[in-house]
Amino acid sequence: MKIAEKKALKRESIIQTALQLFSTNGFHKTTIPDIATKLQMSVGNLYNYFSSKDILAQEIIKYTSEALGEKIRVVNMMDVSAEEKIHKIVTVYFTMAQDKPEMIEYFLRVYLSNREVFKDGCDGMVCVSGFITEIMIFFDDSVSSGELRNQDFFSAFGLFMGYLGGMVFLKGEEVLPKGIEFYIDDISRNIYNALKA
Amino acid sequence: MFITPKPTLLWLQAITCNGNTHSFLNHPDLFSILSHFEIVHHPSLESSYTMEDVINGEVPCDVLILEGSFIDEGFLKAGVEVSSLIHTYATKAKHIISAGTCATFGGIFKQKDPENISGFCFDLEEKTSRYDTYASKLISLPGCPMHPKWMSYVLLMLAANKKIAIDNLHRPVELYGYTVHTGCTRNEYFEWKIDTKNYGLKEGCLFYEQGCQGPYTRGSCNKILWNDISSKTRAGTPCFGCTEPTFPKASLFHTQTNMGIPAKMPLGVPRRAYLTLTGVVKSFKIKRFTTRLLEYDE
Amino acid sequence: MKSVKIKQLIEKIEGEAELDFTFNDGLIEDVKINFGFYRGIEEILRGKDARDALVITPRVCGICNHAHLLAAVDAIEDGYKKAGQNIVLSSKAKDIRAFTLACELIQNHIKWFYMTIFPQLEAYVEVKSEVNYAMKATYLASTITKALAIFAGQWPHSSYAVPGGVTCDPTHLDVMQAQSLVDESIRFFEQVITGLSLDDYLGIDSVSSLGKIEGDFGNLLYMMGSHHMSEIGQSYDRFIVFGECGLSKAGKSIVTNVSNVDVRYVKEALQEGTVAKAVSYKERLYEVGPLARGMVAKTPIVKSLHKRYKDSLLTRVFARVHEVALLLDYSKTLLQNLELDAPSCTLERGTELSDFEGTGVVEAARGSLIHTTTVKNGLITNYEIITPTQWNLSHGNEKEQGIAIKAMVGSKTMEEATFIFRTFDVCSVCTTQ
Repeated sequence: MKIAEKKALKRESIIQTALQLFSTNGFHKTTIPDIATKLQMSVGNLYNYFSSKDILAQEIIKYTSEALGEKIRVVNMMDVSAEEKIHKIVTVYFTMAQDKPEMIEYFLRVYLSNREVFKDGCDGMVCVSGFITEIMIFFDDSVSSGELRNQDFFSAFGLFMGYLGGMVFLKGEEVLPKGIEFYIDDISRNIYNALKA
Repeated sequence: MFITPKPTLLWLQAITCNGNTHSFLNHPDLFSILSHFEIVHHPSLESSYTMEDVINGEVPCDVLILEGSFIDEGFLKAGVEVSSLIHTYATKAKHIISAGTCATFGGIFKQKDPENISGFCFDLEEKTSRYDTYASKLISLPGCPMHPKWMSYVLLMLAANKKIAIDNLHRPVELYGYTVHTGCTRNEYFEWKIDTKNYGLKEGCLFYEQGCQGPYTRGSCNKILWNDISSKTRAGTPCFGCTEPTFPKASLFHTQTNMGIPAKMPLGVPRRAYLTLTGVVKSFKIKRFTTRLLEYDE
Repeated sequence: MKSVKIKQLIEKIEGEAELDFTFNDGLIEDVKINFGFYRGIEEILRGKDARDALVITPRVCGICNHAHLLAAVDAIEDGYKKAGQNIVLSSKAKDIRAFTLACELIQNHIKWFYMTIFPQLEAYVEVKSEVNYAMKATYLASTITKALAIFAGQWPHSSYAVPGGVTCDPTHLDVMQAQSLVDESIRFFEQVITGLSLDDYLGIDSVSSLGKIEGDFGNLLYMMGSHHMSEIGQSYDRFIVFGECGLSKAGKSIVTNVSNVDVRYVKEALQEGTVAKAVSYKERLYEVGPLARGMVAKTPIVKSLHKRYKDSLLTRVFARVHEVALLLDYSKTLLQNLELDAPSCTLERGTELSDFEGTGVVEAARGSLIHTTTVKNGLITNYEIITPTQWNLSHGNEKEQGIAIKAMVGSKTMEEATFIFRTFDVCSVCTTQ
């Protein structure tokens, strides 16, 4: 294996470990030495990869956004109706919340709750563009095909993602009486009914 | 001493508003350009033959300039179908220049009778039955009107016996390789996705709300300026895509958007690439682009 | 007594027309004017967005496209007003529109002066000079349309006037460049056209001082005078103007009585044998154009010529060339007084109305141009355009022959008649739209 590839793998494992720790223990409670210890590497070596905790935090949000964007991109490429795509996007999102809760938790509990950390370098949608772009493409396709009603981007985006984020938040608070997958059908239908042309 | 006779130039009009004629008359070097040719007939300049001679089919023609949309039957001059005149001279000519969008693709007047009215060699983007016969000598200069310097480029290239590189719609690539967006003074606002707040402001881009088609319209309007001084977008008017086969589309002062995303992307730009950039640049508020460009002291 | 019919194709009039002359006893008794092809701009507009008229209607005509734009925007603004949304243009927007319209008129008159009247008159009186009149015409026309384009982006076919104002946002730099182009046009008018300073020229207020005019205009007046053109080409001596602008006021003039007009009494009717429609005001025919504007505004030199030569060919030609001087002077004043810090467009985006009906009137080069738009749910359901040439070139009605026909009747030759015809600055494409 070439050095560059090795480094890339190491970088990804740092991101994944930090993601775990940040979302379970909180951003401020987690230190760089905590992460280094868990990875069995020296603090100094970790700093070779990420020069500060803030920068690491920003890289993680890009990483999760890309990962989610990748999955939605697959949905966007499918030749199915907007209604089915909504169902698939909701499934993707909830499945990720189920299987890799740290991904969504990170977004809700670290990214949205510690804006000062992301102020420089992750202004606005810069670090979540991998995900936002795919949602834009989904909306654009569905409006031009006449399936969804044309409206302002944010009124549609807020309804869609605010709803999903809210459900995952409730799940995290353990107030949902049933497993999150139980809600996929109804929520998908609700979103479609709200946005359809 | 033997003097080679100048090539003869015939400017023939079909269904037109004369806009290309008047556009060309604005050329600052008009007469030096025309001095390379013998004007056998022109809609407004003095010419060596009358319209009746033209109608009688007697006029020599090396370069035929066609202005206006084409119809096979029903448009007559002095009792003669103009379509037959066009065929007569197109056959004689060594070069055919379709001047303007009407002659090239059908243009505005096509909308009166879309079944029967078209350009001479193209009907919108499709080739007409005439294409195969005349394609080898055809140069397209779409634009409503065409720019006078686009015409002079073609005429001077022909006079100098130089080959004009053209694209699949026979448009010279040196003129239509660009988009109207190229050289627009509002480019910074486009880059940063900042929409103009209203008409009548020098700040802001017209692509997001006001219907500007500059980023996907071929033409060098912002490189070779109109009347040597300005352009639509420089004067705050959206580009209406008048050089394109699709001109005129509906709702020309309005950008069609899908949930705020322009329905049509800049020429050749994949949507995913465009939207990725959009999401990023929209995240920044840059003061210089949100204030007036110039402030005068009271 | 023998009646003879002869057909004549007239070219280089923004297209062509066919005149069918009826001679009786050696004199023209009647003329039928036939224009070619109906392009159907009004039909094309139906179903389009209301503002699309600002792009489509200029394509009625390559030489007076800007007047069509301004009539189209005026029609929309009038519709907004009638629907209860008053639009008050800034003085800047008004002045810029007036300026660009003036530039187009100058361009038009100058092309007619040099590219129609001179060659045709020389042919008629059988004098052949070697002057390249078209070069003079295009020099001045391209200079003044360049000034227009500073504000309108381009000429021909700008769409820079939008409901509520104009799209441009000029700086002093722009205004200075435009001023310089107007100055260059004035210099040309002084040195080439009249041989007089603009001020001295504008000081001419009676026939007795016409002799001061030199240059090309002086030559033209001399040629026309020596061929008795003050005695031919008279029509009904009835004029009408609908557009209000710095140079014109609305009204009608019959012989010398000037009175008010209302555009609601204008009627358009189909005519047999031609695609051009006829227009009348309270069932009477009127002449429109520079002579009409001069008569209604009581321009001293036009009145003085009219007093002596009535609505003859000489008076008609003079009024049109004279307007170039008035327009140059007017456009210079407009630029000097331009309030650059006023808003260019006072209608906020998103406040467009979707149901209205309005009429726009503009004084174009050849006379009053009227657009009426009817809009429902944002889309045009009906659009009507009445062009100046329709007034001057109609066949007439059962009571009387058309304006230009009347002017030609009594001529001995077709050459004389067609020259009279051309003094109306005929525009084929406008007539048939």
